[in-house]
Amino acid sequence: METTENTCFHCGEPIPDGISLYVLRDGEQKPVCCSGCQAVAELIFASGLGRYYQFRQDLGRKAEEDLQNDIAAWRGCDDRESLWGAELAEGRRDLLLQTEGIRCAACAWLIRSHMENKPGVQSVQVDTATGYTRIVWDPHKNRLSNLAEALMELGYKPHLPLASAEEQGRQEERRDSMKRLGVAGLGMMQVMMYAAGLYAGAAYGIGDAQRSFLEWVSLMVTLPVLLYSGRIFFSGAWRSIRAGRPGMDVPVALAISLAFIASCFNFFRGQGEVWFDSVVMFIFFLSLGRHIEMMLRHRNLQAGTALARLLPEWAERITAAGRETVPSSDLADGDRVLVRVGESFPADGLIRDGVTDVDEALLTGESRAIVRRSGEAVIAGTINLSQPVEVEVTASGQETTISSLGRLLLLAQSRRPASSGIPAWLVPVFIIAVLLIAGGTWAGWQLVDPDRAFSAMLSVLVASCPCALSLALPVVYAAASHRLLDEGILLTRGEALQALTRIDSVVFDKTGTLTRGVPEITRVEINPARSSFSAEQVIGIAAAIEASSAHPIARAFQQAVDESAPRLLARAENVTVHPACGLKGRVEGVQWKIGKADFAAPAGQVTGDDSIWLVDSQSWVARFELQDSLREDTQSTVALLRQEGMAITMLSGDSREAVDRIADRLEIEDRHARQSPEMKLEKLEAMRQGGQHVLMIGDGVNDAPVLAAADVSMTVKGGAELANSAADMILTSDSLGLVSKAIDTARRTRQLVRQNLTWAVIYNASVVPLAIFGMLKPWMAALGMSLSSLLVVANASRLVRRKP
Amino acid sequence: MNMLYVLIPLALMLLGVAVWAMIWAIRSGQFDDLESHGWSVVLDDDQKPPPHPDDDEDGEEDTL
Repeated sequence: METTENTCFHCGEPIPDGISLYVLRDGEQKPVCCSGCQAVAELIFASGLGRYYQFRQDLGRKAEEDLQNDIAAWRGCDDRESLWGAELAEGRRDLLLQTEGIRCAACAWLIRSHMENKPGVQSVQVDTATGYTRIVWDPHKNRLSNLAEALMELGYKPHLPLASAEEQGRQEERRDSMKRLGVAGLGMMQVMMYAAGLYAGAAYGIGDAQRSFLEWVSLMVTLPVLLYSGRIFFSGAWRSIRAGRPGMDVPVALAISLAFIASCFNFFRGQGEVWFDSVVMFIFFLSLGRHIEMMLRHRNLQAGTALARLLPEWAERITAAGRETVPSSDLADGDRVLVRVGESFPADGLIRDGVTDVDEALLTGESRAIVRRSGEAVIAGTINLSQPVEVEVTASGQETTISSLGRLLLLAQSRRPASSGIPAWLVPVFIIAVLLIAGGTWAGWQLVDPDRAFSAMLSVLVASCPCALSLALPVVYAAASHRLLDEGILLTRGEALQALTRIDSVVFDKTGTLTRGVPEITRVEINPARSSFSAEQVIGIAAAIEASSAHPIARAFQQAVDESAPRLLARAENVTVHPACGLKGRVEGVQWKIGKADFAAPAGQVTGDDSIWLVDSQSWVARFELQDSLREDTQSTVALLRQEGMAITMLSGDSREAVDRIADRLEIEDRHARQSPEMKLEKLEAMRQGGQHVLMIGDGVNDAPVLAAADVSMTVKGGAELANSAADMILTSDSLGLVSKAIDTARRTRQLVRQNLTWAVIYNASVVPLAIFGMLKPWMAALGMSLSSLLVVANASRLVRRKP
Repeated sequence: MNMLYVLIPLALMLLGVAVWAMIWAIRSGQFDDLESHGWSVVLDDDQKPPPHPDDDEDGEEDTL
């Protein structure tokens, strides 16, 4: 990926004015945006890893300019053995670090090449899909902070190893599944080979001794495959029976075990067919289906990990001895912490010193900043916008408001009916039908030829194994998720696609979903008495003063300057922040005030409105109206959904006026303002009880429980981790238009699922009569089964190939 | 045809070795990341890091 002249060579961000930093690449100067990126790029070249830039598929993460604080914080944790990772033999440790900024395989290569040379590091593995870096290292030869520092030097950001136990469990599950699949595959190849000999023998003649030897060998190979790889089907079947809801595992386990027992029986009595090849093939194809399903499931982030990531990892604790940086999980009630501007609060608490604006949008959906004064409560995870404050901790870790939201989410998730993709009523019907047909076959042959009754009944059971049927859904879902990913949609729950085709109502959150979630300047009014000022000028002045603030309003001015006149930016001096009010500052010799009406506007002006006033010592100069603007394709998406007959609803935590303004523009009648997460959940449950199938689209933490309770849920780019973990689909680009694309793909998927199911049923239905009349030979069963399975897979792959 | 009684057990032994090798490979994490290693073919080449003056110093500094 190449960058242009005006963007940073490392991270691709525009280079700010007045910065002229360069790195040397093959004697050529490449511009970078900051000293952080410069340091990273220089290190990469100096280590001889410059090829990273040639092969990366995505730009790097913008580097931090000053790593010293981060490194110092990690140094403080060097002695905590609990953070070193799982213990291995000879005192080595297996450390799993969630690492921010890993974008592509070239990143993985870069990290591996850089880290493996560090002392004490034995091996490094990077999982680009999940962003985990796994380091096997020796704590006697190196320090934890050195490993973290090595990652930070390259511009990546390691997180404290908090929830690694879960990821470890998932990796174990992946490996187990792979082992089962591998064993089944190798076993299948062997048994098929012997089966080919047996088929040839059946056609051209074979000695009894040789035949029974081949059968015996097949049995010896099939048995371990059955016991090792087939175990999950038996345990799954047992679990579902005990839970009173027999699933697809039941007919599968039945077919596998009966086919195996029948083959053993025929082998020991020395006559009749053996079906060992079918048994191992069943197991292989079914394991393949399971493996695909599991890989899909693992894409989903675990709620626990997401929760931990929502709170800041580090907190600055104030002690008698001074300040120290500690992991947020260490905070206890009564601790004092310092929270700087732009940081989020590490725990629930009361402000003890200072006044500030707090961005609570993530938690409440409120798009405006809230003023918090000394003695007032702040909530963990919300962002401090204007002044550093001292906070006394009242609840940390599991006790925080955010953690209780997490529990609400888990509750909602557990209430949603689990769907295996195959209608629940079908399974018992299927089992009963198979048993009836098998019994009927046996009874029928008793009348005609009692000697063949048993083997005919067995071949009915073999023929009815729902192999293609169990493969039919997972492969289509895997293909669909692949295609969705190409379009920018991350699918985390396969069955959501099926539910998506039945949707008749769409519920939108407002802030950050329909809108961008950041204010934009929508109107600039110049005081008629001061008409010597132009709009560009006043925006330039305002932006200069606001430049030192982290408030979203400041970003709106910055953006306006970037768009209109990038060179106009003056410099402001003596800027003072007045929390909850505005700022004062001097630009080109003139003293300015900017802020809300009651702070900045001279007496006598209308107060109480939302606009921002720019005032000098004489009179007001300009008035800015700021609004949270719609995303570009919100209007067209909502129109499109309405055209398709969907009922559109808006549930927002924001104020009535803000909700009305947006809803009016989108002509949404069904709107609800000031909704708490619990109220949203109630509304949604009521809709579902009314028979509606609901698609929920949201982004904030406050949406997470609702997302989890909806039939299908999506989050938009930039959504909170917790919301993402509750969603079935995550839109990875800024466009809401993806919603209709997802529905399109879902419909196409449903079509393919139907084709696959039809085919699987036709196959089984046409083979069973053969078996009933005793005409099904083992080679026919084996051939038919693999062909029908391959057909199902090939059909699914059409979804990937077809480009819109 | 008696060769069958020699060759098939031989094949079974090979199968055992193959299964053991596969399980060993999965356990040692060789299948955990199937993407980035493909890149090392194009990325790893004979571009050696230039000799770094404080290479040794680095090593000592990092060791406890």
